[in-house]
Amino acid sequence: MALALQVYRNLLATYLQPQRKQVVWLAVMLFSSVGLQILNPQLLGFFIDTVTTSGNIQKLFLATFLFSGIAILVQILTVVTSYLGETVAWIATNALRLDLVQHCLCLDLSFHQFHPPGELLERVDGDVTILARFFSQLVIHVLGNALLLIGILFVLFLEDWRAGLSLSLFSLIAVSILLNLRSFAVLPWTHYRQMAAEFFGFLTEYLGGREDIRANGAISYVMHQFHQMLQRWLPIYQQARFASTVLWAISVGLFTFGNVIALAIAAYLWQQNAITIGTAYLIFHYTNLLQQPIERIREELEELQQVAASIQRIQELLATPAYTTATGQRIVPDGAISVRFDRVRFSYPTHEHPQTENPLPILQDLTFHLPAGQILGLLGHTGSGKSTIARLLLQFYDCQSGEIQVGDISIAQADRQQLRQRIGFVTQNIQLFQASVRDNLTFFNSSIQDSQILVILEEMGLQDWLRSLPHGLDTQLGADSSGLSAGQAQLLAFARVFLENPGLVILDEASSRLDPTTETQIERATERLLSGRTGIIIAHRIKTVQRADQILILEQGKVLEYGDRLALLRNPQSHFTRLSQFNTAIE
Amino acid sequence: MKINSSTWHLLWSILSYAPRLYLFDSLLWLFIMGLPLLPGLVIQEFFDTLTHRSQLNFSPLTLVVLLLFIGLARIAAIFAGRITKTQHRFTISSLIQRNLLATILERPGAEAFRSTSGQTLSPGEIMSYFRDDVAQIEDVVVGTNEIFAAGLFALVSLLILSRISLVLTLFAFLPILLIILLLHWAEGRIMHYRRTSRYATQQVTGLIIEMFSTIQAIQVAGAESSIIEQFRLRNDQRRRLMVRDQVFSSALNAGLENLVNLGIGFILFMVALGVARGDTGLTVGELTLFVYYLTFVTDFLAFLGTFVAAIQQTAVTFERLSELLPLSPHSLPNPSIESALEPHPLVVPAPLYLPNLNLPNLHWFNLHLPNLYSPNLHSQTPPLPTHPLPVPSLPLQYLTVDHLTYQYPDSDQGIFNISFTLTQGSLTVITGRVGSGKTTLLRVLLGLLPARSGSITWNHQRVIYPDRFFVPPRSAYTPQTPQLFSHTLRENLLLGLEIDESTLRRAIQLGVIEADITAMPDGLDTVIGTKGVRLSGGQQQRSAAVRMFVRQPELLVLDDLSSALDVETEQRLWSRLLRIRQLPQGEASHWQPTCLIVSHREAILQQANQVIVLEKGMIKEIIVR
Repeated sequence: MALALQVYRNLLATYLQPQRKQVVWLAVMLFSSVGLQILNPQLLGFFIDTVTTSGNIQKLFLATFLFSGIAILVQILTVVTSYLGETVAWIATNALRLDLVQHCLCLDLSFHQFHPPGELLERVDGDVTILARFFSQLVIHVLGNALLLIGILFVLFLEDWRAGLSLSLFSLIAVSILLNLRSFAVLPWTHYRQMAAEFFGFLTEYLGGREDIRANGAISYVMHQFHQMLQRWLPIYQQARFASTVLWAISVGLFTFGNVIALAIAAYLWQQNAITIGTAYLIFHYTNLLQQPIERIREELEELQQVAASIQRIQELLATPAYTTATGQRIVPDGAISVRFDRVRFSYPTHEHPQTENPLPILQDLTFHLPAGQILGLLGHTGSGKSTIARLLLQFYDCQSGEIQVGDISIAQADRQQLRQRIGFVTQNIQLFQASVRDNLTFFNSSIQDSQILVILEEMGLQDWLRSLPHGLDTQLGADSSGLSAGQAQLLAFARVFLENPGLVILDEASSRLDPTTETQIERATERLLSGRTGIIIAHRIKTVQRADQILILEQGKVLEYGDRLALLRNPQSHFTRLSQFNTAIE
Repeated sequence: MKINSSTWHLLWSILSYAPRLYLFDSLLWLFIMGLPLLPGLVIQEFFDTLTHRSQLNFSPLTLVVLLLFIGLARIAAIFAGRITKTQHRFTISSLIQRNLLATILERPGAEAFRSTSGQTLSPGEIMSYFRDDVAQIEDVVVGTNEIFAAGLFALVSLLILSRISLVLTLFAFLPILLIILLLHWAEGRIMHYRRTSRYATQQVTGLIIEMFSTIQAIQVAGAESSIIEQFRLRNDQRRRLMVRDQVFSSALNAGLENLVNLGIGFILFMVALGVARGDTGLTVGELTLFVYYLTFVTDFLAFLGTFVAAIQQTAVTFERLSELLPLSPHSLPNPSIESALEPHPLVVPAPLYLPNLNLPNLHWFNLHLPNLYSPNLHSQTPPLPTHPLPVPSLPLQYLTVDHLTYQYPDSDQGIFNISFTLTQGSLTVITGRVGSGKTTLLRVLLGLLPARSGSITWNHQRVIYPDRFFVPPRSAYTPQTPQLFSHTLRENLLLGLEIDESTLRRAIQLGVIEADITAMPDGLDTVIGTKGVRLSGGQQQRSAAVRMFVRQPELLVLDDLSSALDVETEQRLWSRLLRIRQLPQGEASHWQPTCLIVSHREAILQQANQVIVLEKGMIKEIIVR
């Protein structure tokens, strides 16, 4: 499963281009240290020869000091290289993280349903962290070490052509064997990381449901699942590490072989009186030095296996298409927005075959027109398609046929993010961050002033709650929203929508969790929220649609009844009238 | 910060978890680390033979062949040692992860995780504990025998060198004293840098988890760009701190290497000085050996440096992990003698049920080299224990709550002095305004939040540990927003429970979800997605209710079950549940649960035997019908 070089090149080009200068410096530092590393053994050889022959003291001292000086310089270069390398790597990987997050944020729910946050963390952070070395060092190290290798062989040729030739042949064989084995371990490591992602996905999910697990006595069930996962994981881990071991062992073997060649050649040339003892030592020493670039190249290639596996998953993630094909640029106008559905037909794409249509359409031939500033009450059983209307309006999906217009522009041509900002949507499911109250309301948008927030919280009747918080707007809300009741969470969700100042408000049974008193409080706020805006109220209960201008009753994706609310109420035969009577009876 | 004795103690406990595996692994790593010592001697002999200074007089060819065999032996050791090392690595991290998970699940289920500074921890941060902190411990633990072997052979090489020339050896290794000082100086900094960079990493991983957990809210609000801006800021902060951390480590390493280079300089200097005095000094072979072993010792020292740093980082890790340990009253650290003997919860030697490695007996040493592509290394996978059977229940006659009080940390919210009694088979409804403490009351009663004071009595017997007591078959609970998991619907309903199909079907019927299940593509075996998102809100709530019904508990606790249901479905559910409660004893189903529920619905309030009205965390009134 070797990746095309093209892929590596594109990645490097995209993320290193902005830091060209640092990369050049990094290369300069690495190459200087390569040069110094080749130079230093010459001093040792010179030293040995001087000791065994003439014994010129001054030369000996000079060689000693030069040797130590160069060694220290190499270390300094190493530190500088590490600074440059780390910086380049972090800047590049952070850019990649950002791109991945941006992409994932655009993917719709059908993607996120199957990829828990823990798994995405593993992709966005785990996989990208592995790429860090790829960006900072891989190319430069492979290049630098190749240069070191060639430099050493060149020096060996200078010492004696037979030593140079035989060790060059050896290096050629060694490198080609290692290169051929390059992709040997990619597959096992891909499996390993997949398993890791699954494992962390599992943990996030179950730790999020601690309350349910404890109170329903399911601890032993969770531990059972955990152990099953470990049992599956260990053999995968062993296989991946074993593949890497094979590469390590081959490199050790090759290196032993290299030493054997070097000593044999040195002995032969010495016996032929072709070289000095200093040169014999140099041949041995340089062969040892060959170990570093070959070993390094091996390490980089081993790393490359993991890198390739990570890149593959990152590419897969980046290639995941959003189901909606929205590329529109048109801006939804300010103020209240009209909504028009024209013979809309929709069914959810199934997970496995996003292109094939689900045989059961969720919405069939749906047509209605809601003028700007009016309110539509949407009724129907669970699963009748009410929430789907909201999802289509927010462009989580494209409808298969028919047309949806918002503010007189076709939804397919609208700018998606702007469209969503113009629509306020409150669901049954309130999602809060583990962050401050302010960030929860503004979604980290620092351009929203505290005074704006305070005014809205007051309008929502949340001032008492805010006063009870230890640090006001800076109070951290726990992930479990400790101290925050579901009703308060719902009020916060309302406040979020207020801050957006939308032109269309969709309430999906938004007041269902509230006690009567709070409900009255919300009613008042809702009235203010809906004034001057278009509204769609999705409700299970008749009571919540009392202020609607129009009523639409859905049954299995089809319009059961649609019309002016008062007109429907006047008609004793209408479904709406019957529903109203039924509900008054039981509530 | 100093590495305290508890870090050593914890490391020791982890090491003693799999002693046989560890010993065997250590033995192999002695070979992997020690075998490179021999080529130095062979090469010394080789150069001395060339210069006719040798006393042994092997032919150069013999020495070369010897070198080859040493290399082959090392390869064999590497293969075997990596397999045991992998097994040991996995065992260690599994143990810590298992103990972390088990202790986290022990904590009161609704209580937020807090760091020592009082900050609540997000799921993303918890995940980084499982991932990064566990890896840190694993590295240190499995590194112990490597550092031991490296140290041992560094010492051996020093002994060999000192026999050649004691003075030279002393001079060459004088810088080691400096290394100790250097490491001592660096200790505090390493810890500090590590802690800050870990914190910055948590800020990033935490945000990733948060944004994908709340993806719908972000998309609906069109808030992608401001979230991404926040992400960028945290990324930058992390980059700065990580680079500082890593450059410091690299500078430390360079410092170590430099001291050794200085050592080689010393040797050369001494030799040159000897030559100046007309001394013949070292043979070429001996000089080669000095340089060869110096690298050997260098490698050890560099290794030692990183290892010491890693141990220091592990001390931080242990400190962080301890934050996650349970804080409930029955597991508070107790200064008694008995608790001092109990193992730390992180290192409890719990069984892991991992596939075993085929370890040969230590005294009869034979290596089986496994197949290259599909190594079948494992003898067998031990069977997992079956789920424990539920304890037979004491039938509920009375449940009395007396002056129950709980207050959220850093807040004046909570519940105060709550007292009431439930009788067998009754229906009690808790109602009240938003924020009046209804959910908190249920959580404290069930032990999901630790009560500050007050007592709970079940049939005149005091419940000391409500979190352990209020589980099926005594009670079951459906929270306001129930959590389901990405399995099949059946798995979600049962959660490991083994019951017959008819009981399951009755529970499904009771939860009014039978029609929904029939409509699903694979019925009960439909996979419901992460957190059950493929189900509608109403379906999720009813599934959670069924999950509770299959357990047939004495006490049913429901937090606003009806919030996502339409009126008709809810009516059906209640009438079915109430009918079961009113069946006379001895009927087909003799399960007659007592119900404690939170609701605002007038229809339910009218059928209740008892209505508890809460206001600001206190009981406003109790209406008995």
